[in-house]
Amino acid sequence: MSTPRPKVGPPQPWTFPAPVEHVLGNGVRVLVHDLPGQYVLSVRVVVPTALSAEPVGKEGIGAMTARLLDEGTAAHGSEEFAELMERHGMVLGAGVSDGGLLVDVDVPQRHLATAAALVTEALAQPVFPDDEVRRILRNRLAEIEQERASSAHRAARELARTLWAAGDRASRPTAGTTESIASLTRDDLVEFHATAVGPRGATVVVAGDLTGVDVLGVLEGTLGTWAAPRHRAASPPAAPVPAADAARVVVVDRPGSVQTEIAVGRPGPDRSTPDGWAPYPVLSFVLGGSPSARIDAVLREEKGYTYGIRSSFRPRVAGGSFVTSGSVRSEVTGEAIEILLGILDGARDGFTDAEVRSGVDYVGKTAPGRYATADAVADETAALALERLPLDFTTRNLRAVAGLRRDDLDGAYQQVATGEWSVVLVGDAATVVPTLDGRVGGPVSTVAL
Amino acid sequence: MPLDYPIHRRTLPNGMRVVVSPDHTVPNITVNIWVGVGSRHESPGRTGFAHLFEHLMFQGSRDVRSGEHFEALMAQGGRLNATTWFDRTNFFETVPTGAVELALWLEADRHGHLLDAVTQENLDNQRDVVKEEKRQRYDNQPYGNALIDVYAAVFPQGHPYHHPTIGSMEDLDAASLADVHAFFRAHYGPDNTVLTLCGDVTAEQGFALVERYFGDLPADTAPRRPDLEQLAPLDTAVRVERREVVPNDRLHVAFRLPVDETDEFLAAAVALDCIGGLAISRLVRRLVRREQTALGAHATAWGLVDGVSLGFVVLDVAPGVDPAHVEAAFVEELESFLEHGPTGIELEASLAQSERSWLSALASQEERADLISHHLLLHDDPDAVNTHLDRLRDVTAEQVVDAARRWLRPDSRAVVAYLVAADGVAGTQGVA
Repeated sequence: MSTPRPKVGPPQPWTFPAPVEHVLGNGVRVLVHDLPGQYVLSVRVVVPTALSAEPVGKEGIGAMTARLLDEGTAAHGSEEFAELMERHGMVLGAGVSDGGLLVDVDVPQRHLATAAALVTEALAQPVFPDDEVRRILRNRLAEIEQERASSAHRAARELARTLWAAGDRASRPTAGTTESIASLTRDDLVEFHATAVGPRGATVVVAGDLTGVDVLGVLEGTLGTWAAPRHRAASPPAAPVPAADAARVVVVDRPGSVQTEIAVGRPGPDRSTPDGWAPYPVLSFVLGGSPSARIDAVLREEKGYTYGIRSSFRPRVAGGSFVTSGSVRSEVTGEAIEILLGILDGARDGFTDAEVRSGVDYVGKTAPGRYATADAVADETAALALERLPLDFTTRNLRAVAGLRRDDLDGAYQQVATGEWSVVLVGDAATVVPTLDGRVGGPVSTVAL
Repeated sequence: MPLDYPIHRRTLPNGMRVVVSPDHTVPNITVNIWVGVGSRHESPGRTGFAHLFEHLMFQGSRDVRSGEHFEALMAQGGRLNATTWFDRTNFFETVPTGAVELALWLEADRHGHLLDAVTQENLDNQRDVVKEEKRQRYDNQPYGNALIDVYAAVFPQGHPYHHPTIGSMEDLDAASLADVHAFFRAHYGPDNTVLTLCGDVTAEQGFALVERYFGDLPADTAPRRPDLEQLAPLDTAVRVERREVVPNDRLHVAFRLPVDETDEFLAAAVALDCIGGLAISRLVRRLVRREQTALGAHATAWGLVDGVSLGFVVLDVAPGVDPAHVEAAFVEELESFLEHGPTGIELEASLAQSERSWLSALASQEERADLISHHLLLHDDPDAVNTHLDRLRDVTAEQVVDAARRWLRPDSRAVVAYLVAADGVAGTQGVA
């Protein structure tokens, strides 16, 4: 005797946690989330920088500067610094996006003061020891080779090169190329740090259980003392310029591959887009966000060609992209790409009410769980700060999602999906290219790995 | 700081063990189910079957059509998946509070009545999907099969951990509908399953809900064999070399370890941290920072229950450096550690990093539920989420050096070397 299928109760109202806002003596903005029960604190520092301002031939200078922040400071050598972090259960990462430098720290609550002091040292007084500069640059060169060997990384790199205009910074890897990294010197890094990394426009986010913690006292005594006299405010980033010949197929020859990595892209919006960001996460879900989404319903569940293909709108601080990616077994590459492009183009004819409902419900109702940890809350608030979005953006956007109708989704998708796809296929060219015959329109070129 | 996550536990009359851990900070509930079957239970010629079976759990059951499990829960704001590992298979979803009964109903339908709906078509389709998963995650990745080589080198032929969870293409091809029926009957049942509810629910509500949906499933799992006896360390070093199209040489140096949750396993894990797991480990300080002969050094200890655990160190050899030189330096560092033991700073750092990563895992309701189910199914100790850090704090330098001297001797190592093929042609050389 089976138990009858239960009814589902309505979700409880929920809003993204609102941070408390302060400004430190040196002008640094502070956003604090007290989240009881989150014993590991997440600290984020964002400094607006413009990736597009990296000098030609020195691409990756921002990313290398970020990686060297904790490799030796005025007060501590690289190993000493690492030892202090390890003994306090701290983990630090640093990198750059198109619009900023981000330092990301997780630390148990009781070590916040130590962590804040070390982050301040790393941001304000890195000394770029010769040895460490050589090591970090050499490791980046090896990393480039590791990325080349990975189909997914190689596809992402080729898609950027195909999608964006040749002169645009977005067409080249954020962390630099073999040539640009090889040209960097310690002096370049010191100068970049002095002028691009400073407290002007910076925001600190602290999220977690702050019971008994004097957050402002700690931050005033650490990041509040950060000064950088030569720091120049970054110009606001501009959206990347698409390539004139973006609509084409590029095969990256990776001999011996048993699968073809597919990446299909178009320029897309950022989260400040005037018509509203709400439709885009819903579109991602409906097209390529689950085994039942339009793409996997055919390529995975019906055909068995793939473990899974995902579509997502990827906002940058300025501009963005719509990317569909995944891998299929080599022999079926032509058929799979024809089906995939057919689904992406076919969606311009519109979505069903059932699809809109399921996507709206998924995006809206998963929000409380997606933002349930200090990590996730800190990441979102830091992103809002860097994207210059209001702090209630997340909540207001979820309200907008709840009100989406078919027309909203259709209109948003038709703006992005014009039928002019950049298609990158990383696989065994000898196997793959013959399968494309008659399956794809436009020019097909083959490049080396 | 003593941890006090609430742990309410009950066993249903059909043998299903249940924990409810209330947490009302978010209007969500996680349903987390662990079934006591993994790749260690697979029979020869059927490797990869536990995982293939896990896929079939999403393809429909008595009152649920194929794909509906994902669709119905995602449309209610559910985030869900399942995974298979050596020791177990887990199924989990986090849903808004009002959807927890739907989640339990869907789970009970497939955990109780899968066979009513399994078809040859679904088996064939998911076999293809799993083969693509294998290609994507193993065969088409640089170094993608290295850990599979490690398992085969460290664990003897016929041992439950000798083969990987993903299995082989030949065995996946051989899987039949009859295998699906036999596997379900042998392994899936409430008496071989634990369930954790973590989140916006009280203990009494939680137990009543689980009883309502799972209470009528019969306790019909085949008897479980006892876990195997502890395997001794390797008595002579093992070496496997592969020439592959890889960006740089990489060494995997692996060891047998004591079974999970023993004091000796914890001590061995701390030893591996000091040797290669920390950012200030011996290997990172020497090979990565000072001599710069390695691009990276990482160490991991995986706790397992069937008579042995696995520890390994991964060394990425810097371009132009002889891997033999890096391996010799590794052996020197290991010998020095065995002689002198850990420093106070190493122990402090290992504990501090373990504390952060344990608290970070518990910070998420999903991971907390998973850790509770893990310790409930495999160790009958769900309160471990609260006591684990106390146990780590009690590990002494003497225990660490003792465990290292027994389990991490250089001649107990298995080395799997993935070396750059000079002419772009792959090949294998095994030296036992």
